[in-house]
Amino acid sequence: MLNYETILSRDAFLLSVELRLFWIIALAYGLAFILYAFHIVTRAIPAGKAARSIMWAAAFLHVLLIIFRTFEGGRAPFQTLYESLSWFACMTALVYLFVSRDLKKVYLPGIFVSGVTMSVSLYALLSRTPAIDPLSPPLKSWWFEWHVIFAFFSYAVFVVGAAIEASHLIVKPFLKRGYDRCLGFTPGMMDKFHKKAHRLVAFGYPLLTFTIISGAAWANEAWGKYWSWDPKETWSLATWTVFTIYLHCMTLERFKGLPASVINLAGFAFMLMTFLGVNWLAKLLGIPSLHVYAV
Amino acid sequence: MQESLKKRFFNLPPNVCTGGWLYKKLSSLTTSIYVLGLMAVFFVIGTIFPQGESFSEYVKSGGGFTFFVENLGLLDLFVTPVFLILSAVLLINLAVCVYDRYAPLFAKRVFQRGFSPDKTIYLTHGIAGAHVEVRRVLKEDLGFKLIFKDSEWIIMEKGLPMRLLTWAYHAGLLLCFFGLVLTYLFAFEDTMTLSPGKLQPISMKEPGRVQSLWKSSHTDRSFGLSLDEFSAEYVQAPRLDYPKDKLSRLAMGLGWKGREVALELKDDSIAPKNWRSRVRVIKDGVFAEAHTIEINDPLRFEGYTFYQTGYEQKLKVRVDASPILLETKTGEEIFLPGIENPLKFGDLKTGALYRLDGSVDRLIPFTTVKQARDANGPKDKRSYDDLGRLEQDGSITVDGRRITLAGIEESAVLSVRRDPGVNLLWTGGFITLIAMALRFYGGFYTAAYRVMEADGITLLEVCLSTKGLWTNRESILRRLEYSLTRDDLKLTPLPDDAG
Ligand code: HEM
Repeated sequence: MLNYETILSRDAFLLSVELRLFWIIALAYGLAFILYAFHIVTRAIPAGKAARSIMWAAAFLHVLLIIFRTFEGGRAPFQTLYESLSWFACMTALVYLFVSRDLKKVYLPGIFVSGVTMSVSLYALLSRTPAIDPLSPPLKSWWFEWHVIFAFFSYAVFVVGAAIEASHLIVKPFLKRGYDRCLGFTPGMMDKFHKKAHRLVAFGYPLLTFTIISGAAWANEAWGKYWSWDPKETWSLATWTVFTIYLHCMTLERFKGLPASVINLAGFAFMLMTFLGVNWLAKLLGIPSLHVYAV
Repeated sequence: MQESLKKRFFNLPPNVCTGGWLYKKLSSLTTSIYVLGLMAVFFVIGTIFPQGESFSEYVKSGGGFTFFVENLGLLDLFVTPVFLILSAVLLINLAVCVYDRYAPLFAKRVFQRGFSPDKTIYLTHGIAGAHVEVRRVLKEDLGFKLIFKDSEWIIMEKGLPMRLLTWAYHAGLLLCFFGLVLTYLFAFEDTMTLSPGKLQPISMKEPGRVQSLWKSSHTDRSFGLSLDEFSAEYVQAPRLDYPKDKLSRLAMGLGWKGREVALELKDDSIAPKNWRSRVRVIKDGVFAEAHTIEINDPLRFEGYTFYQTGYEQKLKVRVDASPILLETKTGEEIFLPGIENPLKFGDLKTGALYRLDGSVDRLIPFTTVKQARDANGPKDKRSYDDLGRLEQDGSITVDGRRITLAGIEESAVLSVRRDPGVNLLWTGGFITLIAMALRFYGGFYTAAYRVMEADGITLLEVCLSTKGLWTNRESILRRLEYSLTRDDLKLTPLPDDAG
């Protein structure tokens, strides 16, 4: 049997290796962000290419990091906010890289995605505890684990959807003014990008629906009440409602253009509020808010 | 333009709405967009104001906008008449939509002409042979089924029944909605504290909204619960020595500061792992069922569900050698004779302890003792001094008095709930999820084509539309072209040096 000394120093060593790796990944996302910015300013294609390659390397390392954390903790690494932020950043990078296979010379969405992955990773590293603490009993539930996995997966998909939607909205006025190309976009690509954003939301929406239903099922198992209108629950319902509106708009000729795009971006803003800024509005208005689970 | 023509061609609703203005509005997708938009606004307001808090608490903790909060009911926003009316409108809108779109699912579809082809394929077959071959390829090689045919156009489909799935998840949502309504009207709950060995009848103090119209405040049942044992489990949780401030973390992360993270294990580094109550259900005086209730494993009996929500701990303490035992609850202040400032006993730790090295021990029950620095002023503003750990039958000296922990009693706190809405909610949720996943992740193709002859050349015009993410339009078109032209002689470019 191992003695405490050995166990503690082994665990501390593993944690410090993990933290180093996570820092390298966060900095790689940061470097990709800078290169994307450089590409946008100078239009230099090699900068865009290099940024995408760095994103690939960072995402690969990030997958390794998540596997490492699984072994380190001896459990699925989706249970604390530090862990779910890391999973979210990794999924966002992977979804973007998957989607960007056929974006060819378009690098603009990359700046949003790398900005998000960098900020989220830094937020986890700087503000959340990396400790592998035992979970409080209510959180030990099959429902909770899948709830978190799908929640952050859907958020990742929505981030990429919003990045693509925002990029196409940014270049649209330039192309309308008669430019035949802007940051790799051509006028013929506008519709394709709008549809791509739609496909991404369509992919994320059932995941978000599952998140809400599984959250309610878990609350019902743990507390006997499937809904209690706490800010986190309410924000997630608001986000789901906004994406429902978006999907409905996309089926109507009169709303499927700019109004739908704006609603998609609003959905993204709501999603950010759901998992980062739940109490932020309340604080801004000086209103004492309820305590919410930090996961 | 092509898109809208395609939509017209494929999605023409076969029924023509015959209802009046109100029915038209209530079956309209646009109405649902506006109602959902209003709902989203309510949700956002509901995240700002702490729902369920009392107005006086809200004012006490410094909340602003008190005029609006009080008069608009912003602390109970989701039961205000405005929100309930809005929900009712959405419910009716959804119900009408589901009803309105049911019959068309099974009605014979009418297709309207007029679309521009996505692809034109030149064929070497004669016109009659081409008709047969195109149908054969679409049917046998690509799995399409014939849906509609007239003298010119042929429409074939393959994949999941998307319209039915879209309808099904809206119907599933409607079921969820009914579940929510049942909960809102009929659900009721209460908490009960079970002490070991005592039979506790089920008594609900507040019946649901509807029952309260005819029932008094009590619902007594013919059965009760008896607690055999309440037990807790703990696990050793080393404390992480890692800076909290961002700059130090950054310095460590970038390697400027050579410190390493460290883990330390102290006496009190333990965290709760589980609580469980072993209970027996006694119905009409006889044993009916035994169950161990844990936090994520409630007991269900005759429509009631019992959840482990917490525990209550009572301590019996003796001051010096006094024969009288004083009783206190953990977490509450108590004045003891001869001691000036009140004491507070922390959570009692008792039960199994899972250690880091894999061994399991039984904890000697212990609590921690704190003393308030002064006895005046509001309780929640007081600061305390740690006096240390007190084990069962052990003692601690405070202000010259010996305080002994002479006895402990743990009771389970359960919440009991009866909610006739949940089953409907889960059924609706399940249908919604399955239908939605199939609708979004599945695939569906509609191909409209015509084979024609122009200037002695046979050609095929195809228009292919898709639904669902699991589709690949280009691949189907490519496969269609390949299958129809694979045996044709191909024109090959002459070698460069030929001329
Ligand atoms: C809680 C309320 C609702 C939710 C969550 C919801 C969800 C959805 C979603 C996600 C879609 C997109 C499917 C797609 O992209 O094809 C959709 C489409 C649609 N919804 Fe709803 N919906 C709701 C209420 C309503 C209501 C009240 C109506 C009645 C007018 C309605 C009618 C429709 C129709 C006609 C479509 C288009 C279907 C298609 O083109 O395939 N929905 N709904």
